[in-house]
Amino acid sequence: MTLHARVRTQLGSLHLDCDLSVESNVTVAVLGPNGAGKTTLLRIVAGLTPLDEGRVEVDGTVFEDTATHTWLTPEARRVGFVFQDHGLFPHLSVLDNVAFGLRARGVDRKTAEARANEWLERVDLSRYAASRPTALSGGQSQRAALARVLVTNPQALLLDEPLAAVDASGRLELRRALRQHLSTFTGVRLIVTHDPLEAASIAERVVVLEDGRVTQEGSFREVSSRPRSTWIAQMAGLNLLRGSVSTGTMLLEEGTSLTVATNVQGPALATIQPRAVALYRKAPEGSPRNVLRCRVAGVDPEGDRWRIRLEGALPLIAEVTPAAAADLRLAEGGEVFAVVKATEIDVYQM
Amino acid sequence: MTRGVTRRPLIGLVIPAAVAVLFIAVPLIGLLVHVDWSNLPSELVSTDVLTALRLSLECSAIAVVIALVIGVPLAYLLARTSLPGRRVLRGLVTLPLVLPPVVGGIALQTALGTTTPIGTVLHHFGIVLPFSTAGAAIAEAFVGFPFLVITVEAGLRQRDDHFEEVAATLGARPWRRFWRVTLPLAAPSIAAGAALCWARALGEFGATITFAGSYPGTTETLPIAAYSSFEGSGQIGEAITLSLLLLAISILVLVVLRDRWLGALR
Repeated sequence: MTLHARVRTQLGSLHLDCDLSVESNVTVAVLGPNGAGKTTLLRIVAGLTPLDEGRVEVDGTVFEDTATHTWLTPEARRVGFVFQDHGLFPHLSVLDNVAFGLRARGVDRKTAEARANEWLERVDLSRYAASRPTALSGGQSQRAALARVLVTNPQALLLDEPLAAVDASGRLELRRALRQHLSTFTGVRLIVTHDPLEAASIAERVVVLEDGRVTQEGSFREVSSRPRSTWIAQMAGLNLLRGSVSTGTMLLEEGTSLTVATNVQGPALATIQPRAVALYRKAPEGSPRNVLRCRVAGVDPEGDRWRIRLEGALPLIAEVTPAAAADLRLAEGGEVFAVVKATEIDVYQM
Repeated sequence: MTRGVTRRPLIGLVIPAAVAVLFIAVPLIGLLVHVDWSNLPSELVSTDVLTALRLSLECSAIAVVIALVIGVPLAYLLARTSLPGRRVLRGLVTLPLVLPPVVGGIALQTALGTTTPIGTVLHHFGIVLPFSTAGAAIAEAFVGFPFLVITVEAGLRQRDDHFEEVAATLGARPWRRFWRVTLPLAAPSIAAGAALCWARALGEFGATITFAGSYPGTTETLPIAAYSSFEGSGQIGEAITLSLLLLAISILVLVVLRDRWLGALR
């Protein structure tokens, strides 16, 4: 089973323009900042938001095609949508919630309730069958919402920020449960999240969506180690540089030149781990290193590593131990020399 | 709210406010003082009172049913669709709220009277509305149903159509969504709207007497009976009994709806 979506649509100030292909053998996460159009993308697939132009197809069934004026109603699409707030009906019991989809598709009450009960058992919620959804915790209501769509055996499963409504303490357990249920589901699995950790732990493939456009796709490892946008670099905790390389020298957009060790030529991106940025009070001499004169723009203590935001020749994040920060007498506005070895700069083609 | 600068109320405001409270309380106290409590039980079960009460309950119940059947769909369309002319329509619906009830009764007479086109057609089927129990119920519905429409529309607007969307993705078609999701979720506002409509229908006087007259047992509802006995036969005792009955019903409605109304102000 596969999902193909070619989407062009204007919604308020958001212009969504992206192509998406999802094979059913992997879980795909659409990762991006808030307001990037992630939820809109899911709503388009489910038929809740109309397309200006494009085509959505799941497993050979055309859901929507603006070229042929094809449009299937949401109820005619076999799509399981787990909403961010889970969307459990407050006026129905948990059992009736889970049975709702089957009843809506014409399954008789007895069969529907029996199958809903089976699923409640699978997600460990049998004792809440007669309860109202308000009696459930965030994690439990998430599982109930998941059971409610999986019981209908949809062609595609869409999850919008699956862990957003769950408190931090329940996330680890829920992530495990979610992975387990996703692995038993054979259809298309598409989740949407702004949390890289969630994408990394649940999905095998990541599509980065920023401002309505796909900026990068691949495994989470690929995406996070070779980021192509500032947002994803920040998420991965890396310094991202843009520029052009010619024979061992990278001329950055900011105007600074860095000595790099790479065979890449021409327009390129480069990352530097914050802990690979060494700080000195005085400019060190000798050795094939890049020395940058900077000003401390901010100091963010984070446990045993302090993040130092630098500006000047190049905006950079450095990570030092609290002791080193004290020795350097780092303070906002102070001057400091940032040193980066050529071999610590990971350069790749733009 | 009662801290800081508002802790010491302005004396100049306390006096008119006290007058306002008395303005409401004194007539009610006057009513209660003049009740002949010893004869009250026997008066309450007298045939005249019971006839008026039965008729009032009957007519107001029919009015509520009419209001529900036509009012809920209208409230739904006003709340959930981008119907053209929606604002004009809403104004039209609220008109009976501010219209003098007598005008409503005269309007009904001119539209549904025996000599009018609609009245003639109805007469052909053996239905005569003016000066009949059905006519009284229709007059009450006319005056009461805006309360229902406004309350239900506000209730529907309180929630967006999120749960309808959820139901759609679960495979529910439009009618199923309406019956299984929209209506149950709007049930509290429908109940409140129906209670308001019922209370208004029960107390209805002007439109009813104009369109249906005051025939004991047919169209003489509680308020009309109270007025007739007060004005016509000078039996102020019976008028007070009937008034007390209506007051009790009003308090009952207030108690039932207290969380909905007073809760919003708390």
